[in-house]
Amino acid sequence: MNVNITTNEDSIIITVEGSIDSKTAGDLQSQIMGTVAETNNVLLDLSGVSYVSSAGLRVLLMIYRQIKSKNGKVILVGVSEEIRDVMSMTGFINFFEITDSIENALNSF
Amino acid sequence: MDTTTELRKFSANLDSLEQIREFLTGLAIKLGLDKGRTYKLCLAVDEIATNIINYGYLKSGITDGMIYVMLRSGKEMLTVIIEDTAIPFNPFENKIPGEDELALPLEERPIGGLGIMLAKENVDEFRYEFENGKNRNIFCVNLR
Repeated sequence: MNVNITTNEDSIIITVEGSIDSKTAGDLQSQIMGTVAETNNVLLDLSGVSYVSSAGLRVLLMIYRQIKSKNGKVILVGVSEEIRDVMSMTGFINFFEITDSIENALNSF
Repeated sequence: MDTTTELRKFSANLDSLEQIREFLTGLAIKLGLDKGRTYKLCLAVDEIATNIINYGYLKSGITDGMIYVMLRSGKEMLTVIIEDTAIPFNPFENKIPGEDELALPLEERPIGGLGIMLAKENVDEFRYEFENGKNRNIFCVNLR
């Protein structure tokens, strides 16, 4: 799994590639949560993510809680059909905005 | 008989999770399971394998454990059986979130139990057995 973070004035873009499972979720968490704490808006680009397990959902939950406490927004981009399914099965889907392009996401912050 | 059986063993550490998914994906796609259902099968197995590794083996101090993954396919059904010799762990004894909990806002949501719920919901049948010192988790997917 690879993680890349771009910091903008009022938001950050987190781009993840690979699988988010129990092996990689801890790495993802430790790489991003410090930066998430310093912004109000998070755009999470999952276009390169092929797999998310419950460990990955826990990271989404942590991002959501952190941002929600600041009345910010978490927007997901590039969510595959399979990952959407997992998010709806667990009731996660309604709490995140999902769009199809980074541009759309940045415009809605 | 039109039956395929494949067995592979994996070390009980988190590095094996991706290898188990790749092993199952390759076989399932070859056997005609579509991409979406293959993903779901992998997710179900991955969640249980994670529990076996983290709780069954590592938390009880066993660092050289193994997980045996068998895939058997007939005309009607594809079955994945995973066996381990860690401490007995019956996923059905774990509390899984009910509909009321799943409807809670994420701020109030308890964190546990999602993995086992995903294991149960992503295959057509999920069973657990403990026999001769082995945990056996069985996942079935209908091919028709």
